[in-house]
Amino acid sequence: MPLLEVTNLSKDFSGLKVLFGIDLKLEQGERHAIIGPNGAGKSTLFNVITGKYAPSHGKITFKRHDITGLSPHKIARLGLARSFQVTNIFRAMTAFDNVRNAVLSRNGKRHSIFPTLGGMDSIAEQTEQILNLIGLLDRKDELAGELAHGHQRALEIGMTIAMDPELILLDEPTAGMSSTESRETVKLIEKVTEGKTLLIVEHDMDVVFSIATRITVIYYGRVLASGSPEAIRNDQQVKDAYLGEERE
Amino acid sequence: MRRLTLLHIVVAVAIAAVLLAAPRILTVVQVRMLTEIVYFSLFAVSFNLLFAYAGLLSFGHSAYFGLGAYVTAISLKHVPGMPFFAAILLGAIAGAVGGAIIGFFCVRRKGSYFALLTLAFNQFLWAIAWKWREITGGDDGIGGIVPKKPVDLGIFSVDFTQVGSKYYLTLFLVTICLALGWYLIRTPFGNTVKAVKGNEERASFLGYDVNRSKLLIFTLAAFFAGVSGSLFALFQDFVAPSAISLGMSTEVLFMAFLGGTGSFFGPILGAAIFVYFTDWISSITERWEFILGVLFIVLVLYFHQGFIGLVPAKLKSLFSLGNNR
Repeated sequence: MPLLEVTNLSKDFSGLKVLFGIDLKLEQGERHAIIGPNGAGKSTLFNVITGKYAPSHGKITFKRHDITGLSPHKIARLGLARSFQVTNIFRAMTAFDNVRNAVLSRNGKRHSIFPTLGGMDSIAEQTEQILNLIGLLDRKDELAGELAHGHQRALEIGMTIAMDPELILLDEPTAGMSSTESRETVKLIEKVTEGKTLLIVEHDMDVVFSIATRITVIYYGRVLASGSPEAIRNDQQVKDAYLGEERE
Repeated sequence: MRRLTLLHIVVAVAIAAVLLAAPRILTVVQVRMLTEIVYFSLFAVSFNLLFAYAGLLSFGHSAYFGLGAYVTAISLKHVPGMPFFAAILLGAIAGAVGGAIIGFFCVRRKGSYFALLTLAFNQFLWAIAWKWREITGGDDGIGGIVPKKPVDLGIFSVDFTQVGSKYYLTLFLVTICLALGWYLIRTPFGNTVKAVKGNEERASFLGYDVNRSKLLIFTLAAFFAGVSGSLFALFQDFVAPSAISLGMSTEVLFMAFLGGTGSFFGPILGAAIFVYFTDWISSITERWEFILGVLFIVLVLYFHQGFIGLVPAKLKSLFSLGNNR
């Protein structure tokens, strides 16, 4: 039984069809990358899986639960956490508070009124562990909105893994980064997602081929090919549509 | 939480001492005014719980104030032998239930739609108060509601013919509610409310049910507004549709902004200045509402922080919205 199964998924936005019958399967422990040109529907696919949009057709199952059309918070609570392509953090809160928001939610302390936050040592401890992992411990009291871009991206990933999810979805984690920053981020992703199932959308092929164990290519809302990195690299259709030929 | 310094303790003790001694040092007229300030403080803070903490601008907050006032008045008037504490509790619950029902519809809308919907419900309740004469007395209102004889509560007795007695009752209940509000915003629940204000989308993808947390803070704010409305009815010994009017909704907004919405205690300062100022200015000119309007324009244009912005920085931490460590 796959961890995540997407069957015949379609999405149209009042007439504009973006996804045409996508099928996708993720096994436990897999590191699956989704690639494709701009406008192929990668982010839409993420948004439909995580509940931002309801699909027009098709079915999504996660851990045997039918999550098709569920609201984002319900999907998140089942153990599916995501990051965002455009940094999506609590800008007016500190880095510590950002991560703690995720830690509180994971611990089911969303609406508890006893004790005060100041009295929750274990929450603070877990928060600092995550901050340490993403290298932001010494910046924990800085406002998230004032952190450097790279640090904000790390915080984005930190909040996602602080949910301790079984499936992590990362939407272009290296967006807007230099190649040095990208390499750092790849290291970070490998470190923090160890033993987890990962679904990642990424433009940077170096990042994709260094992380992924499986790759799915999406082209204008359809799955063009899916397979091991090696198979994808040698797939003629993919080369024609997306990767291009290496020059002789 | 920040460490309390000696300065904070001195200030807090001084304020408490002055408030407790007030009926002995002030004239009856001044104690009446102080009582008004105390219950309006709770009303203004309840408005700010929505505005500053949850980012929800309600243009209809007097709906819950008025519900509290009317339900307390009606239950004392029409139910024989109604204990007044139970009448206050009923008023508070009416505010909360009204808030839960109206909030259920409002929190699903954002920004100006939210504000307009709160206003519409407010106007709807006002119309009921105005038209349903058999129960609400229409524009004549309901008067003569408080017990004429002193009510013995064991430890102390409340004599509604005595201004000092009503003042202590008001101060006691308002202090409890403010302490409860102050505590709740420091819990995970309060943090959730702030997180949802900060970034609703991110919060929902972290597993937070944003509508639920908005509805909870809306209901809590309505509960506090209900308590303050109930105290208003007992103090005035009279309720009329003005208590549930858009005018009252505007006044509470004004109080909060006057004092400063950026702090927990700002609206209390705002309530004090508002009550004092309107009393003073209305004794000078009949056109006092015009002056109030001008003042509000100046406030919004040049004085965002409100009067709390004038408080020395050393004391500021005592007045902050409350950070969480």
